[in-house]
Amino acid sequence: MLSEERRVEQQSALTEPAAARLAAPDVRDEFGLETIDMSMGPQHPAMHGLLRLILELDGETVVRCDPVMGYLHRCQEKIAENRMYPAVIPLTDRLDYFANMHNEHGYVLAVEDLLDVEVPPRAEYIRVLMSELMRLASHIPSIGFLMLELGAFTPILYAFRERERIQTIFEAVTGARMMFHYIRIGGVKADLPPDIPQKIWDYIEGLESRFQNDFVDLIQGNEIFISRTRGVGKMTQEKAVEMGLTGPPLRCTGVDFDLRRDYPYSIYPELEFDVITDTAGDVEASYRIRIAECLQSIRLIKQCLEKMPEGAVMGDLGRRLRPKEGDGFGRVESPRGEFAVHIVSDGSDTPYRVHYRDPSFCNMQLLQEVVPGHYLPDIMPIMGLIDPVSGGWDK
Amino acid sequence: MAVTLPEGNLEDRLKGYLDGFGNRHGLLESEIVRGSVRIVVAPGDVQAVLATAKEALGIVHLSFITVVDRVGSFEITYELMDLRGGRVTLKTTIEGEEPVIGTATGIYPTANWHEREAYDMFGVAFAGHPDLRRLYMWQDHFDHHPLLKSFEITTRRTFEGLR
Repeated sequence: MLSEERRVEQQSALTEPAAARLAAPDVRDEFGLETIDMSMGPQHPAMHGLLRLILELDGETVVRCDPVMGYLHRCQEKIAENRMYPAVIPLTDRLDYFANMHNEHGYVLAVEDLLDVEVPPRAEYIRVLMSELMRLASHIPSIGFLMLELGAFTPILYAFRERERIQTIFEAVTGARMMFHYIRIGGVKADLPPDIPQKIWDYIEGLESRFQNDFVDLIQGNEIFISRTRGVGKMTQEKAVEMGLTGPPLRCTGVDFDLRRDYPYSIYPELEFDVITDTAGDVEASYRIRIAECLQSIRLIKQCLEKMPEGAVMGDLGRRLRPKEGDGFGRVESPRGEFAVHIVSDGSDTPYRVHYRDPSFCNMQLLQEVVPGHYLPDIMPIMGLIDPVSGGWDK
Repeated sequence: MAVTLPEGNLEDRLKGYLDGFGNRHGLLESEIVRGSVRIVVAPGDVQAVLATAKEALGIVHLSFITVVDRVGSFEITYELMDLRGGRVTLKTTIEGEEPVIGTATGIYPTANWHEREAYDMFGVAFAGHPDLRRLYMWQDHFDHHPLLKSFEITTRRTFEGLR
């Protein structure tokens, strides 16, 4: 009984060639071999976080890829239902732990949608400043991880050197290196320390001068890099939109969609930046997108520092928040794509339901579609294209 | 082949969507709230309305699906976006102990995992789904659906004492 169920379960996830092979199990290739099933992860040295891939291999070609998740599931949505509104913010830090500021921002926007509180302009600037620093601290290591998966060790050291310095800035501003709890409902926790704007400026100038050398010249023309990434994970625009991709995996196919411009929140309409797209739709294109987005983030950080007004950093709010009944939505462009929060309020001081739409979760659906047909070692560069984070897809 | 993105003023587009849905389907409620079209339909019409959204109105992006346990009924929200900021919130309510609703995977393939998650967390079945397995929880020996209001977390008592 159980084995029959299992068989049906597995069969339903098969791709066409694999299904055909299963329908005619006696068919062998010219050497008399059949496909083998292999489990990759959850504890695999190259895997991004805790993900298990059930792979069906024909020689070294993948015929079927079935991601299995849930190894880091904490049921964040259930925990959030049992806490007061402000007490959920530190939990959102633990979602996508490479984009903590964006998670906090998304959640806070959803609550503010129900509260109609006015956020002071200085707080909005600080939020965007921190979000863009966070984007740098996520994109640069993701380039390093991609190179690590291809066997190059140096870029990850450069990447973590930069991330370390950004984390030092975060520590000075928020008091924590990763789990910030900095963006609050109605503003931010505290104003920037007086010396920090100058330090951020100096750091950004330094990064800009190093960037070309450390992350572009070192990687871009490399023959091994090109042969391992060009044409790998290639997908069309229709496929990308159909699969619900957002962020760099969508923009690398040429679809011009960025929430910062197309669904403006905070002070992004007042700032100048370009939305980067590429047409190739493969791993190399996603690398180019991330490089160019880092430069755009540097541009945004400079504008934030130049234009930042003086004033309060916290809006006028009561001690106990009771948002009105209804649905609150918050959306931000996280480094991986669209991070959305949907809060259903029943008028009490705890949310009735919190739902997170995490970009890693949605973007990972492309594994099922894109990996079949590739060689086994190409899986890791494709994971580098998506750049998923375990805490994000598992909630 | 390229994906065509919508053009024009956001308000006009939202009005166009509202009329587009209103002319083709019987809507229980329809309004524009805070820059988004909010429509409520009967559960049997969901697939038809989603097909209209994608094919006739060109809203290509399904952002997420939220299920809310209203104790006795389930409220399902489909959040759509047209890649230029025009949002459509489609709501429906299904009743019963073992709720069933038609799948959206035929129209929006990305709904696949969203529906698997909803099935895992709430036990809402999606008729016609190609691969309806649990997503996070164990496949065998676990018949609970954690996000139901009837599934109490063990520390619940402590929180109620504090409140």
